[in-house]
Amino acid sequence: MANTSQLKVIYGDGTLGVGGDDFHYIFSYSRGGLESLVIGGKEWLYREPKPTFWRATTDNDRGNGFSKKSIQWLGADMFIDVKSIDVKVNNQLIDFPGAPLNNRYSNNEFVDQIEIIYHYETLTIPSATVDVSYTVTANSVIKVAVHYAGQKELPELPVFGMRFVLPTKAIGYQYDGLSGETYPDRMAGGVPGVYQIDGLPVTKYLVPEDNGVHMETNWVTVTRNSTKNNADSSSVPFSLTFEKVDQPFAFSALPYTAEELENATHIEELPLSRRTVVTILGAVRGVGGIDSWGADVESQYHIPADQDIDFDFVIKRGSK
Amino acid sequence: MSHEKKAQADSRWLDDPEVFRINELPAHSDHRFYRNQDEIERDQSSFVQSLNGDWRFSYAKDPMSRQKDFYKADFDSSNFDTIRVPGLIEFAGYNKIHYINTFYPWEGKEFRRPAFTMGPDQDEAGMFSKGKDNHVGAYIKKFTLNPDLQGHDVRIRFEGVETAMYAWLNGHFLGYAEDSFTPHEFDLTPYLTDGENTLAVEVFNRSTASFLEDQDMFRFFGIFRDVSLIAQPAVHIEDLSIKPTVNDDFQSGRLKVEAQFSGQQSGVVAHLTVAGATGKQVYESRSEVDSDVRLADTSFKTIHLWDNDNPYLYQLTITLTDKDGRTLEVVPYQFGFRRIEINQDKVIVLNGKRLIIKGVNRHEWDAESGRVVTMSDMKQDIETFKKNNINAVRTCHYPDHISWYYLCDTNGIYMMAENNLESHGTWQKLGSVEPSYNVPGSVPQWKAAVLDRAKNNYETFKNHTSILFWSLGNESYAGDDIEAMNSYYKEVDPSRLVHYEGVFHNPKYKQTISDVESRMYATPTEIEAYLKDNPQKPFLLCEYMHDMGNSIGGMKSYMGLLDKYPMYQGGFIWDFIDQAVAVKDEVTGQKVLRYGGDFDDRVSDYEFSGDGLMFADRTEKPAMQEVKYYYGKY
Repeated sequence: MANTSQLKVIYGDGTLGVGGDDFHYIFSYSRGGLESLVIGGKEWLYREPKPTFWRATTDNDRGNGFSKKSIQWLGADMFIDVKSIDVKVNNQLIDFPGAPLNNRYSNNEFVDQIEIIYHYETLTIPSATVDVSYTVTANSVIKVAVHYAGQKELPELPVFGMRFVLPTKAIGYQYDGLSGETYPDRMAGGVPGVYQIDGLPVTKYLVPEDNGVHMETNWVTVTRNSTKNNADSSSVPFSLTFEKVDQPFAFSALPYTAEELENATHIEELPLSRRTVVTILGAVRGVGGIDSWGADVESQYHIPADQDIDFDFVIKRGSK
Repeated sequence: MSHEKKAQADSRWLDDPEVFRINELPAHSDHRFYRNQDEIERDQSSFVQSLNGDWRFSYAKDPMSRQKDFYKADFDSSNFDTIRVPGLIEFAGYNKIHYINTFYPWEGKEFRRPAFTMGPDQDEAGMFSKGKDNHVGAYIKKFTLNPDLQGHDVRIRFEGVETAMYAWLNGHFLGYAEDSFTPHEFDLTPYLTDGENTLAVEVFNRSTASFLEDQDMFRFFGIFRDVSLIAQPAVHIEDLSIKPTVNDDFQSGRLKVEAQFSGQQSGVVAHLTVAGATGKQVYESRSEVDSDVRLADTSFKTIHLWDNDNPYLYQLTITLTDKDGRTLEVVPYQFGFRRIEINQDKVIVLNGKRLIIKGVNRHEWDAESGRVVTMSDMKQDIETFKKNNINAVRTCHYPDHISWYYLCDTNGIYMMAENNLESHGTWQKLGSVEPSYNVPGSVPQWKAAVLDRAKNNYETFKNHTSILFWSLGNESYAGDDIEAMNSYYKEVDPSRLVHYEGVFHNPKYKQTISDVESRMYATPTEIEAYLKDNPQKPFLLCEYMHDMGNSIGGMKSYMGLLDKYPMYQGGFIWDFIDQAVAVKDEVTGQKVLRYGGDFDDRVSDYEFSGDGLMFADRTEKPAMQEVKYYYGKY
């Protein structure tokens, strides 16, 4: 008999499975993140979500040399080390349930709440640590809390967030936030409201660059109608929602990663769009605009590396 | 020498900065004239015959290999291709599309110094007339005069030809012109035949004018604006000067209208009417046109003022009738009452109220045709302005299509009307100020050419209410020649302000050039420092908020200065629309937008051509909502 008031936990040898009423999540030990997020039978992840540090160089970033100054963060964005993983059951840290310690468990393990914390170390010199914690409760909601520990010898960050790559291209998204594409130093004209965006539009800057950021967002619902599952031919739309806990967040939903954008010199060079890259951002650097050949972004819109950054949000099934 | 009548063309004019107009009719106001009211309503003057359309064309890679005798009446042009006029030679596929910013387009390919900058005897003969990179377009157009034009004196008008042109009719030399962005008119009357006429135009890619036309833009050549035949009525208003002034009470005003006539004026009467926006006539006069050129000099007890919120225009109509009462021509012109000045607090005021410039710089651009813009493009741009609270435009860095000025009048757009002048390649060297061969500078041989540009701009557009500022040019440093341009405007037009930014780099001319302190891309901190330190002139930014790619961050800091400093008067965002060219992608077949360097064009400044608030396809960039917000707030 299904126990819907508690989570069922599978203490696997390489993963930790967490299931409930029509949902199932798998946290990988070897791959450094959440490997599977299935709700209503639909997989939501292509690869494990990871912290993200890079934005595709804007024309102003190129002009003022910011990309060169912050180049370490490009490497950090592409590759990252997981140093350790902690598991907490009902808020209590447990001994890491890997083999053979997990022999003590059974196929009938139920908890009220489970939290998996990945401790990352960036491949910068010096390195910085990032902790990403996933707390799952029986109602299927995942709370994600992200902590960057300030490291004063590192350059300013282009951006800081969590990147989720979804297996197929979304048919659109809806969000409660500001109209249009906004950045910390360019959001006065954004009108609060709920906006429906069809497809995953990429702003067609002549040279592909960071784009599509939406500041001050309360929630965003991404809707797809296809999966990679060969046994699933349904085209009935299904949705996943990212929602603020206390503080609004910024996000972008694009068919490309920062690196894919970075690599193109024209829109038409971007690959055929086939996935969805949702980035939930805890810190966004301004775009600047005084000139495009040297002027810096105003200092209040920088992301200093020597200060902690914390943000959190929840992931929920369905639409808002 | 430049005003001498010449019967033969001479290719050496390309090398001589003192030759820039040969046999051209003097620049005059851009008023249109019609046979009757009905033609006005249809905006179709039967005095005008358009020569737009297909012309015959031959391209030569340099002056040495061109067909020199193609202009002759008996020349066999059967081997010529067909080209569209107006159109750019590059877009027709003959010459490589090339974008470059500061450097001259021959950077790394030809060593050139402007004539006389290296010494009074350094005339640089042959620099362009024998220039290996001086491509040549030979155009031939055969036409027969419409019946409506027959029996009249007829002139031809080229509204824009880049960069230097020679013209012939039926083998007779008409004249030579530079200044790519203002109209050129030549008298055809002595050479016209009743049957088929053959017009020949030779357009050179480069001349000494190239040193003055180094604008940050795609570098093109060809006949890129309209070409028309224009019949002259028996008596004709050749030049019109409308001077509405506003009295100190801002409720009453005065109107002076003066005209210069051509033709046999005996017994001809000019009937002048002024109507308000509702069509109600508010003034009328009749004068013999024999001697007196003043058609009106009258006070108005109550006037409606013109501004951005309420661009109220009066309709002036002048009808010339002969002694038998037959209408010779009807000239309509709309004008507004407005007053621009700097007040005792050194603040620019429009109609007594502080002027706040919420402007953009606007290059003329259409992704499908480059510098050839359509009425639809211009109307769309005005709509975009109105929708996003943009109240001002700088015609960077050349005079625009004539229709744009009328659109700005009717829509209340404050215009900074800039001369066709930019020579940053002669003094900006890899970011440093190095004016060792700057032109025009104080080089005497370059003065007349830039003064002519100032005059063309003034005479053509002087009646446009929208023009609040004459701008001497862009990024050309400062010297005696630009100082003379300033004096010219002050002499002919005390009713408007003169703008020039380049004195910032040569402050010894600050007293004699520019009514305003103008900067480009100054930081909010730098602006504040100026405004706090006993400023002598009101401040504006002729360029700011460089909208390249994903930009326009930090606008708040500029807009906030408006609250703190009355002498801060706003600025013009750089710029309105991306310059990018629509082409078919060679891989996917999709229509895509390309920028500098995408045509194997070297040396290039690549994507620096795309700095607009609009994408090149005239859709808004996301940053526009920020501009709309701040421009709406002030």
